[in-house]
Amino acid sequence: MARQHAHLSDEALVLLAARSEESALAELYDRYGRTAYGLALRILRDPALAEDAVQEAFLAVWRTASRFVPEKAKASTWILTLAHRRAVDIVRREQRRRADTLENAPEPVAEEGVDEDAFLRLQRERVQSVLRHLPDAQREALELAYYGGLSQSELAERLGQPLGTIKSRMFSGLARMRELMEEPGTEMSWTSTT
Amino acid sequence: MDVHDLTAAYALDALSPQETEAYEQHLGQCERCREELAGLSEAATALAYGAVAPAPPPRLRTSILDAAREERTNVVPLRRSRWVERGSMLAAAAVACVAVGLGVSLSQPGQQIVTATLSVGSGGKAMLSTSGLGAAPRGKTYEAWIIPAGRQPRPAGLFRGGPDSSLALRGSVPRNAVVAVTVEPTGGSSAPTTSPIFSTHA
Repeated sequence: MARQHAHLSDEALVLLAARSEESALAELYDRYGRTAYGLALRILRDPALAEDAVQEAFLAVWRTASRFVPEKAKASTWILTLAHRRAVDIVRREQRRRADTLENAPEPVAEEGVDEDAFLRLQRERVQSVLRHLPDAQREALELAYYGGLSQSELAERLGQPLGTIKSRMFSGLARMRELMEEPGTEMSWTSTT
Repeated sequence: MDVHDLTAAYALDALSPQETEAYEQHLGQCERCREELAGLSEAATALAYGAVAPAPPPRLRTSILDAAREERTNVVPLRRSRWVERGSMLAAAAVACVAVGLGVSLSQPGQQIVTATLSVGSGGKAMLSTSGLGAAPRGKTYEAWIIPAGRQPRPAGLFRGGPDSSLALRGSVPRNAVVAVTVEPTGGSSAPTTSPIFSTHA
């Protein structure tokens, strides 16, 4: 029964979740829970807090599925946005933890030695390759904002740059990422293996 | 503060609560920002896949599903989602329709199960999901139609088929309308030129 919905699209699963079909939520978790957890762990550097963030995000999916508008966004984007937002909320609450993050920004989890799903590893390598193609200043702004949970004002202060410069680095960085991801060879795969 | 400038920061969750609120109010009125945000959000979300993803502990899945189950008993959905049909066409029927009506053959008759699901949400917004429907042949596309009772079919969007596809129908589906799918030349038609491969009453 675990993968009874394996053939359904993400969007169809959200519609089922809106009807309180628990099995649809389970399938969405099976597709995106691991990515959401990896993201939350990178931001929070604390497995217990990361679990909290992921749990809150999936319960938000459950509660608000009926308001999801498929024309506006892909379901995967919506789910991972919710997970990111929860993790950032929590990291901002945990000021002390964040101060620690700012001091040294290594990967929270060693890349070697993690029993990583092959498909997810491929996706990660693609994103990291796209990031490597960005100018250093843009990459730094995106990483500190997205993985560090810094606000744009905090970024400006930390990097000693005017706010306008930070805004333009974030914008140009995301816009360039988009272009790179559309190029063949760096093409992202958005669908989960089932 | 120029609110237009906040799109990238919003996509990265890099705004203060006050800035977030201002930007969200602005979004309601600014089509350009909504479009820009859709694109930048996808790029931002790609970063989620850039983090190393160790498997979460199995208890997390259990814990989420337990909490969801508990909530379900207490929560009344704010907006009704009306499921019109969860039809399932078996191979024989599907192959017959497809082959007779349209000259499309499925690769493995007898094994292929085609299901088409139409769900209509509040306001008549509808999502058509198909699975097991073969990709449209070269030079052809699947086209969905909304046919209000006693009226001409309205084009509701094109899709390519494939193992698993879903289409948000363009326009709303009135009560008692029929939703149908035909095979059309690439680019779609303004009125159906072939018989439907399936249709359902909404």
